[in-house]
Amino acid sequence: MHLECNNLNFTYPDSDITVINNLSFSMDTPGFNALFGPSGVGKTSLAKIIANSNSRSGDEIMTEHIDRILYSYNLERLPGWSSTGNHLNKVTPPEKLSLKEQLIRVFELQDVLDSRFSQLSMGQQNRINLIRYLLQDFDLLILDESLANVDEKLRETIILAIKDLFAGKMFLYISHNLIEVSKLCSQILVFGKSSENKDCSMIKGQDYKKGYQLNKQSLDITMLEIMNAF
Amino acid sequence: MLFRRIFQFLIVYIIGIAFLLMIKMALSLSNYVIPGVPLIVETAGQVFKDYFFDVMSTMSVTVLGQCISIVMAFTVGIAGRKSSWMGSFIKVTAYNIQAYPIVALAPIIFILLGDGFIPRLLIASMICYFPLLLSVLGIMATPVKDIEHFYIATGRMRWQLEVKIRAFENLNKLVTVISGSATLAMAGTIVAEFIAANAGIGYSIRVALYQSDLAKILVALFMIGIIISIYQGILETMGEQIKIRWSVSKQGEAL
Repeated sequence: MHLECNNLNFTYPDSDITVINNLSFSMDTPGFNALFGPSGVGKTSLAKIIANSNSRSGDEIMTEHIDRILYSYNLERLPGWSSTGNHLNKVTPPEKLSLKEQLIRVFELQDVLDSRFSQLSMGQQNRINLIRYLLQDFDLLILDESLANVDEKLRETIILAIKDLFAGKMFLYISHNLIEVSKLCSQILVFGKSSENKDCSMIKGQDYKKGYQLNKQSLDITMLEIMNAF
Repeated sequence: MLFRRIFQFLIVYIIGIAFLLMIKMALSLSNYVIPGVPLIVETAGQVFKDYFFDVMSTMSVTVLGQCISIVMAFTVGIAGRKSSWMGSFIKVTAYNIQAYPIVALAPIIFILLGDGFIPRLLIASMICYFPLLLSVLGIMATPVKDIEHFYIATGRMRWQLEVKIRAFENLNKLVTVISGSATLAMAGTIVAEFIAANAGIGYSIRVALYQSDLAKILVALFMIGIIISIYQGILETMGEQIKIRWSVSKQGEAL
């Protein structure tokens, strides 16, 4: 599984502002990788470019063994005409029914399946949205702040469960939480501030998994590296 | 909703009558030019029954014409929602045609089809169709990205689902547009009857006009206003019911 970006440039349509300038990186491992950086540096733009890479010509984005890329983001909504449980059932392939039940338990959403989407809190909305993506066929799933408004403890539980259940898949996690990204992600692409002409850099995260012993000193070093990179 | 509509109409009607009576008093006009309240009430007693059936005749054409317009507007609006060549063609054509006053075509329709039910229906449909079409096109051509993204990304999007999402998200607008188009359909029918038909309240107004009987015209306007208010109130209530049924959970909790 390989995701590679070569000399990618991106400017907003009808604008002179270059958001992504000559970006190159590669990610080789399945699991949780991250895009990290301050707002407005091009994380979402890069995520969308990767998500649409199949329809792009040129070799700026190259993939190996990644056929299906999905992009999920915070603030997505489910239609309001029936309950969230009904919507989940409709988009769940028959062979993934048990996975659905498992995810609902891990995401702590058993009690809201009879409710309409608009009746849920923002954290619940984001969780239910993420579940339906996880139930689809994908090789790479981009989570653009898809766990925003979820409390930290549950967010860690969810990410650890995803890493456990989808060990062979690649995830690109966009978050503004330094500790979470440093602790849970494997490769972290840190976007430097364009105003300070800093380039992007790839930093190795702690890639914490269930049952692993976390080295707090290494975690501190990772966080310092990230902080210095942007 | 229904009573509010009727109440609003009564206020406007009373203000209108009061304005006429003020002119009558200020200029010392006779009952022949502007009738007094007793004459209006007396005339109402005489023509109420006939005018009621005339308004109902007009109303039947209005309702049928509006239904045809709604079906046509949704069919063409759904077909024209895509940014394809055909979609763009439908949009441009609709915008251009609606810029022309359709009612000006009424004489041609009467020359070709003569008096009767069909020309009234045709004019009512045409007058309310284009504003409806523009609204439906606008709603159906605007993606609801935060809902549609998942279905597009996972290859689950079908045109029926796309239409359902956009209609659901714009239900308030659609209900307002449909209930508003009732007035246009009614206006179209009355204009058609006024020009050349041989039935309906528009035809009765034309007869009263030839008799210079303003009292009859005021009674006719009152009945048109009441009936169209009831009709719009019913449409709005139906819209509310659809919204409630479509968007309330099993437990009966409103959104």
